[in-house]
Amino acid sequence: MSRLTVVVLALVLVAIFPDVAHACPVCFDSSDENRQAFITTTAFLSLLPLGMVGGAGLWIRKRSRELDGNDAE
Amino acid sequence: MSVKSATYLVEQRPAPVRGETLIPSGVLGMLIFIFTEVMFFAGLISAHTIVRSQTAGQMWPPYGQPRLPVEQTALNSLALLVSGVVLVLAWFAYKKSAPAARIPLLISILLGVVFIGFQGKEWVALLAEGLTLQSSTYGGFFYLIVGAHGLHAVAALLGLIWSFKQLDQGKLTASQLGTVSAFWYFVVLVWPVLYWKVYL
Repeated sequence: MSRLTVVVLALVLVAIFPDVAHACPVCFDSSDENRQAFITTTAFLSLLPLGMVGGAGLWIRKRSRELDGNDAE
Repeated sequence: MSVKSATYLVEQRPAPVRGETLIPSGVLGMLIFIFTEVMFFAGLISAHTIVRSQTAGQMWPPYGQPRLPVEQTALNSLALLVSGVVLVLAWFAYKKSAPAARIPLLISILLGVVFIGFQGKEWVALLAEGLTLQSSTYGGFFYLIVGAHGLHAVAALLGLIWSFKQLDQGKLTASQLGTVSAFWYFVVLVWPVLYWKVYL
């Protein structure tokens, strides 16, 4: 199965079963403040490690290229 | 090939050229540790945000709980931030000449002591006003988050004092200073986020 087929299939599933795709048990609180807090913290805790690892990877790549450039001179 | 000629070849082989280190091992280890610490504080902040959003009537601090000393702590936060900036200056001074880092490193340590000392004074006053770990979730989160940061600040300060001692004896390496400094920068940079979430 090609990557494009997987993406299209996933989008079709999201369109047919939006409730399943939006499977967050705490995102339907009656309080707006509470719902917003859950969504914000979920996004925060999901993206933070990715950002840190990605940032470190990019920095190491940049530093490595700088050192390679120094060696070439 | 005889043993003698093989030995000769090994001896004549040029030594491998060691390039500049990408990142010192100590600093890399400290960065990995800091990643875990960031997630630890992110978890505490997230829990605090959710509990705060669930408070009846959005009243924060809850009824009957003392107000945190926002203004005094802002000044104290400034001391911590300046300490971080001075430590950056200490790093640049060290790169020029190791002994030149003594004064900025000492100033950074003193500002760190001021921060921790003021935090201790603040805790004593808040305890006297009735804010304890058990008094409310407000008190519980305050002591947990600010206390966890305080413990990290004390540990990082001990590291800075150790590095100052090493520097005094002429034994401090750039890797050691970088490792200790990375931890102090973490303590300095995480504090404004904690101040914003807990005090404001």
